[in-house]
Amino acid sequence: MHDIDLFGLRDHFQRQDILLAFNGPISRGLIEEIGNALKNYLKAEDTAPAAVSDVFGTYVEMTQNIRHYAARQGYTDTESAATVVVARDGEGHYVVVAGNLLETADGQALVERVEALGGMDAAALKAAFKTQLRAPREEGADSGAGLGLIDIARKSARPLSARLEEAPGGRSFFSLQAVIQQHPKTG
Amino acid sequence: MTELTRESTASTPEIVADASRGLLAMAGDSYPENSYEFFGEIVRWVEEYLGQREDALRLELRLAYLNTSSVRAMLDIFDLLEEAHKQGREVVVEWLYDARNERVAELAGEFKEDCTFPFRILPEEPAE
Repeated sequence: MHDIDLFGLRDHFQRQDILLAFNGPISRGLIEEIGNALKNYLKAEDTAPAAVSDVFGTYVEMTQNIRHYAARQGYTDTESAATVVVARDGEGHYVVVAGNLLETADGQALVERVEALGGMDAAALKAAFKTQLRAPREEGADSGAGLGLIDIARKSARPLSARLEEAPGGRSFFSLQAVIQQHPKTG
Repeated sequence: MTELTRESTASTPEIVADASRGLLAMAGDSYPENSYEFFGEIVRWVEEYLGQREDALRLELRLAYLNTSSVRAMLDIFDLLEEAHKQGREVVVEWLYDARNERVAELAGEFKEDCTFPFRILPEEPAE
């Protein structure tokens, strides 16, 4: 007898229109492999090239943010696990969600930053991106310092949504969702 | 002043830096985890070329996707070109992109906004 209801899981994926789901320690190589699979899948579906770029870019920034955070914190492989889902919503847009365990205080700060970005229009986001791009950076540090978050916000058709849930060990599970239009407007 | 060539990988573009032709060409996707590690030697090549020679420099870019840390690295390169241009040096950027993907043109366009040297963004019809 199976302990895991794989058929039920598959059914759940299909009902939610989930194209890709990953849960576990994520390496640099895995980000590339899964990213390639995602790109090929979207291209095979005749997704507009700009939307392929946006979904792929969102996925890359989210997963690399998780890797960089885990590295800065000195987390073990298991602790630096990521949960990533790419799905389609009822309107055919792509929903990209990624989450990871983090220190609760860091999670709260992130939620506040996401909320602040949510109140900004395209012009304000562009200005914030350019300012952050020119902000002083530490030698050798690849923290992105929020640049990735602004980039994701610019790609998302709807304001980013962030959630923080209590996890064992005094940590929290942070998740971030972006919505990419299938036929994006240009300019 | 040496040549610098790098084969492309899934997350790094192909690089050809040829001082004898005054050319730096980059093609492909760029999303290395550590962009300083990858772009460090390219930035140094540009610095040396501009510092040691008086010839023109042309960047031929076929970069399709850049993660944000690669965007930062490219900004460093464009800043070097801008500085050289202000000192009267002949520098030019040609950024070629798949005409079907306007995202690349938008990204290139945002870089161009901060540059006063010739910066051409050129659509290419896909080969297939």
